[in-house]
Amino acid sequence: MPLELNEHTATLSDVVTVDEVEPLVAWLRATAKPKVNLRRCNHLHTGALQALLLFQPRITSAPVDAFLATQVLPLLRGSSGVSSAESEPP
Amino acid sequence: MNPLLAQFLAEAADLLTQVDEGLLQLERDPGDPELVNEVFRAAHTFKGSSGLFDFPELTRLTHAAEDLLDAVRSGRLALDSGMADDLLAAFDLIRGWLAHVTVHEQLPATAGPAAQSLITKLRGPLGGESAPAASDSAPAPSAVAVAVRGPDWLDVFDAEWLEKTASWLSTTSATMRFVRYTPDEGCFFRAEDPLHLMSQVPAPAVLALIQPFEWPPAETYDEYQCLIGFALATRAAVGELNHLFRYVPDQVEIVELDGDAIRRHLSGEEPPEPPPAVVAEAVVQSQAENVELARDAYAILAAAQRSLTVDSPSGARLSAVARSVAAAASALGVPVEAEEPDIESLTARVATLLAETPAPAEEPPPVVAPPPAERAPSDRARTDDPGGQVGTRILKVDQEKVDHLMELVGELNVAKNGLTFLADAAEEEFGSRVLGRRIKDQYSGLHRIAEELQAAVMDVRMLPLSVAFSRFPRLIRDLSRRLGKTVELVTEGEDTMADKDVIEALGDPLVHLVRNSLDHGIETPAEREAAGKAPAAKITLTAVADGDAVIVEIADDGRGIDADRVKRKAYEKGLISEDELESLTESDAVDLIFRPGFSTADQVSDLSGRGVGMDAVRASVEKLGGTVSMRSQFGRGTSTRLRLPLSMAVTQVMVVSVAGQRFGIPVDLVVETVRVPGAELGRVLHSDVVVLRGEVVPVIDLARALDMPWTPDPAADRAILIVSLHGQRVGLLVEQFHREVDVILKPMEGLLAYAGEFSGTALLGDGLVLLVLNMKEVLSLAARAQ
Repeated sequence: MPLELNEHTATLSDVVTVDEVEPLVAWLRATAKPKVNLRRCNHLHTGALQALLLFQPRITSAPVDAFLATQVLPLLRGSSGVSSAESEPP
Repeated sequence: MNPLLAQFLAEAADLLTQVDEGLLQLERDPGDPELVNEVFRAAHTFKGSSGLFDFPELTRLTHAAEDLLDAVRSGRLALDSGMADDLLAAFDLIRGWLAHVTVHEQLPATAGPAAQSLITKLRGPLGGESAPAASDSAPAPSAVAVAVRGPDWLDVFDAEWLEKTASWLSTTSATMRFVRYTPDEGCFFRAEDPLHLMSQVPAPAVLALIQPFEWPPAETYDEYQCLIGFALATRAAVGELNHLFRYVPDQVEIVELDGDAIRRHLSGEEPPEPPPAVVAEAVVQSQAENVELARDAYAILAAAQRSLTVDSPSGARLSAVARSVAAAASALGVPVEAEEPDIESLTARVATLLAETPAPAEEPPPVVAPPPAERAPSDRARTDDPGGQVGTRILKVDQEKVDHLMELVGELNVAKNGLTFLADAAEEEFGSRVLGRRIKDQYSGLHRIAEELQAAVMDVRMLPLSVAFSRFPRLIRDLSRRLGKTVELVTEGEDTMADKDVIEALGDPLVHLVRNSLDHGIETPAEREAAGKAPAAKITLTAVADGDAVIVEIADDGRGIDADRVKRKAYEKGLISEDELESLTESDAVDLIFRPGFSTADQVSDLSGRGVGMDAVRASVEKLGGTVSMRSQFGRGTSTRLRLPLSMAVTQVMVVSVAGQRFGIPVDLVVETVRVPGAELGRVLHSDVVVLRGEVVPVIDLARALDMPWTPDPAADRAILIVSLHGQRVGLLVEQFHREVDVILKPMEGLLAYAGEFSGTALLGDGLVLLVLNMKEVLSLAARAQ
């Protein structure tokens, strides 16, 4: 089950597909101070990422997946889009 | 065939072998840079030559293989066995194509699709195939040149990061690719996932987000509308990016930037107008022309002045001088009006012109075209390219030519042998002993030369056994992978030389024996460990020269042959009697394997076990004039030994006559010649025998076996030729022994091909055709006749 929606926290795991976007957005809309756990998430659909960007829930734990952790998480945390950790030259 | 293509095919065979060997070695020792280079070079040379012909699939496939090898060479990829499989498959496919090309001079019709699937596989590890159009040598249409200035959207990246990256790129004179992907708003409905696509980009450096100008309020937000876009900096090649974004080309922008371009973007500076190289060159050119022109004009004026003062020309000559002065003046930029020339005014004008225009510098300024720096090293690289045949002392010759030479040597031998008959005739018919002796002298000189010539030609035909062994590393690798066994191949004595025909004929029996070893002999790693052996089995291929023969041995340390089981199987199949089941020794039992129709395998596999096996091996080795023997220790391994003549070109035969007709018998088989009184011939079980040193040897009447009417003189001694066949001695009753001769054996052809009792014909010096006996068939004929 990629999406587990509780009272304050949503846990996203495995591959979050476009099908999960709608319930996620509905939950984000309805939840006052939403928290999202991305720890076991391996891929986030663009629609889900977009929803997270818009509603800006608190990310409680960082994803283990390398691409999500190094490239996507900074997008969710800083508006500049580049975290200091990734500012090493290639 | 076009000679260029013929040469390509000849060289391709060598290159393919090189690639194969290199790949196999590389798999064992993936870190060796020299090996990678070797394989790469061979593939590269191959691709280069293939480009000369209209084989686009061939060039594309080798190109893909070359790219993969290049990645391995540069250390970007580590060669794994999957990649080695693909590469080997690619070169196998090419080998098949070339066989087709050799016959039809074109690629098979299936080449395109076959190549495509392999190209896709080969390109897989490189991050996908570049679009088929781009895989041609022509530059891809979508190739992106290094941009002079960064696009505006570069701002989405962190300025500090850009700064650092720019200085890094400048320091290393590298470039980076920047991708902007602005997905279409409705892309989610087409099952597109832009983030997923971005996550597929190989070697990403940093991902940035392109946010909408204004986010809609949460209440009216439509979660199925894509509002965001991405920008990504990556070290992936443009080709890889083009491939990845091939379905959304209109939503993607790719630029390649170097450090300076990024810096220019950061400082907002306009790119400097590049000095138009072409224009600059043109300016230099025109200046040079001007200087040259001025010099010429000056020279003309000086000549005119000299001519005017010395010759005082008039009429036509004067007007010619005037015209040339006018032309020179206009070239110098001081045009003069043409007027009726008169000598004084012209002289004065020339003088003023020479005074006014300064003499040009003696040498025009050197044309400053910078020497193309890269050309020099690339030229040098070309000279030591291994493809160049300059200076090599090796001559590639079509085998047919050597074969023809060998035939001529044979004919020379025959002609030479004719001289001895001539010498006899000189003595007997013409009564001149002196002439006879002189002919014999001449004969011995000629004989020496013919022998040396024969040895020289034979030497040309000699090849090292490594040629026959070379296919085994590959065969064993493939088969052991298929059977799930671990096998190590050891080859020894590959340098041993043997005739090309022997080497070639050796191929099939060897393959058969190695297959048998792998399939039956060698256990799985688990079984081996249970038996207390190392999990990796060992197959040893050994070649040793032994006089005029070569011994090739295939040994494994597998499970060996269970002699009891072989005996039981043979008994079940009715190959041996019950007595034999009891009495056969272990080594005789192992020999049963060579009986036709024998197989111990309980199951037929696609490798072996169909019962067409060892008997075929023995037959083909015997056809070469060799022998096979096998030794096996149950539980310890099996070794098979092939003994083959070094050369098949010249056969030594012993000539005997039966019923007035001469026949040849290969000397290899002859043990001895004996003469026994007719009374000493005994009869045991309806067949003649002779007792030699206590041994009873059966005697076959050759005349009867060949169905020729002949009755031996009862008073005379019997001439018996003892031959040895499969370790058994047999006596042949003949009429008379003659001498041994070296002959070139020609196989029986045409109407005589059915005559199995003869292995071939040879021409004798006196023009007689000698039939050479196939002893095995003769013995079975004799057995039937009794």
